[in-house]
Amino acid sequence: MPKILFGMQQLTQTTCFADQIAHFAEKSYLTAGKFLLLLYIKSRTMYSVQTSGVFHHFSENDPVLKDIALQVPSGSIYGFLGPNGAGKTTTLRLLLGLIKKQQGSILIFDKPIENHRMEILRNIGSLIEMPSMYGHLTASENLRIWQQLYQCPYSRIAKALETVDLANTGTKKVSQFSLGMKQRLGIAAALLHEPSLLILDEPTNGLDPYGMMEIRDLLKKLNYEHGITIVISSHLLSEIEKLVTHTGIISHGQMVFQGTLDSLVSRQLSASKLILNTSNNLQATDVLKLLQLDTSIENGMLTIPIPEKEMIAQLNRELVKANIDVYEINPVQKDLETIFMELINQTTHA
Amino acid sequence: MHNTFTPCLKAEWLKKRHSFSSWLVIIGGSFTPLIYMLVFFIYPKQLADLHQSPGFWKMLFLRSWETMSLLLLPMGIVLAVSLITQLEFKNNTWKQLHTAPVSFSSIYFSKLMVILVMMLQLFILFNFTTYLSAVIPSMLSKKVPFPLYEMNVFYFLKENSIFFITCLPMVAFQYLISLQFKNFLVPIGAGLALVTAGLIAHSWKYIYMIPSTYTGLHFMEAATNKPSGHNIIALSLGYFLFFVVLGYVLYIAKKEKG
Repeated sequence: MPKILFGMQQLTQTTCFADQIAHFAEKSYLTAGKFLLLLYIKSRTMYSVQTSGVFHHFSENDPVLKDIALQVPSGSIYGFLGPNGAGKTTTLRLLLGLIKKQQGSILIFDKPIENHRMEILRNIGSLIEMPSMYGHLTASENLRIWQQLYQCPYSRIAKALETVDLANTGTKKVSQFSLGMKQRLGIAAALLHEPSLLILDEPTNGLDPYGMMEIRDLLKKLNYEHGITIVISSHLLSEIEKLVTHTGIISHGQMVFQGTLDSLVSRQLSASKLILNTSNNLQATDVLKLLQLDTSIENGMLTIPIPEKEMIAQLNRELVKANIDVYEINPVQKDLETIFMELINQTTHA
Repeated sequence: MHNTFTPCLKAEWLKKRHSFSSWLVIIGGSFTPLIYMLVFFIYPKQLADLHQSPGFWKMLFLRSWETMSLLLLPMGIVLAVSLITQLEFKNNTWKQLHTAPVSFSSIYFSKLMVILVMMLQLFILFNFTTYLSAVIPSMLSKKVPFPLYEMNVFYFLKENSIFFITCLPMVAFQYLISLQFKNFLVPIGAGLALVTAGLIAHSWKYIYMIPSTYTGLHFMEAATNKPSGHNIIALSLGYFLFFVVLGYVLYIAKKEKG
């Protein structure tokens, strides 16, 4: 029975990623009937976090957030991206009730935070900006405080410390910890009460590449093995693109993109171009038009949207047949970072 | 509705471990009596003189309370209370605390409760070390007899209770102000300014309006056996209630909680 309950808890928290379902099936947590029941439950709770029309300002005529509509699917790792000062931390603080909502709706687990604060917070683990720990106490003494506040079993302290690899810090005071250790302790505190949603604001800030990788691996593991929904903010796409399943991009207080990482990758593909260097661009344009390809000339080079590889071979044949010398066929792909920067710049220039 | 006060209280109690505020209780509670103990060792005549005076324990008690009530205790309160709230500011933990599933009221009152319990610890330690300040030199010095006088427990309980009540306005004031400012110097400065104002205004006819003076005023009453003409206990409780309620309203109304 506990295994089934565990499975239920996991599935109600997760979207139906095939590998996660396979994982549960393999572990035999669920029978088919229960599985269908769970799918039904799941279909009723799609988003762990859902906001709409959220506006916020700290002073008159200086809006910090404009019409923020976040949709964080349950079970996802949601990367909340944006440059410094875009409004990420303000949004996350609003989600956690650290600042009063001024306008709009914020639903966490389908409930408004303002009316169900304690109930919601019982299921959330958070780390906002720099780690918040008492420097004069040891790691386990710190977790003892949060264990009291979350009223979870004492045995969770050792498990949480083990998860973040801080079990052997003994009597060392937190003030003597490195930044990476403090960040990991912050994550341990966030995980202590086994939350179903983790909200992490730039958790890899100030970490070296190895520390960043460690945190990424840990978060992946938590999401995969425990079905925890994770909202992680960052100002660097490259830092979290290997981690997230979904992305929201915010710039100047406005959402400029929201969707799966795949849909961001699709944008990347659609923004890719094929550049041709030929002996006669005007004649080559006519040939390519016959192949129904949109052409343009940029910096003296013929440019077309990147076609299928068979089409690349065909157009080359047609150009040669038409006695046009082809010096160069060069596919130019925009990387995700460029797409990200372009999305951000849209609002800058708007 | 979950009871979140008890877990909050336990958490607050854990936080003060190894903190400077808990050391301050030990230092503040034993400082004056230890000084007197040293004086009695070096000048046993002073202890011998106490034996001549009527009411040995009462005189010893009032002697210890003299500097404590007028200066050390109000200043100690300013420092200890500010240090307790500073734990959250210094460690950047307000935001983490405010995302825990506990009510804001529980956080506010559990912190206050811990401060009051620490005050109680200080009082117990102060009384105990005051007792030792006479007993230890008497045991070790052959020049003064051991104080075998009867102790009026009721008197000490009553006086300690009144001193405790007269401390409360300063505790609540300092708690209120130190919750509002991240910069440690602001509450410390405000508290010390109030204590200093009380000392400067010692002969002012409206001195009873200044809450930092109540321990001193009560000491004067106890030492001279003359009532000050003002109900210091009622004033203390009134101020305490006012500052606690005002502090609570300001804390709850804070737009940003970390």
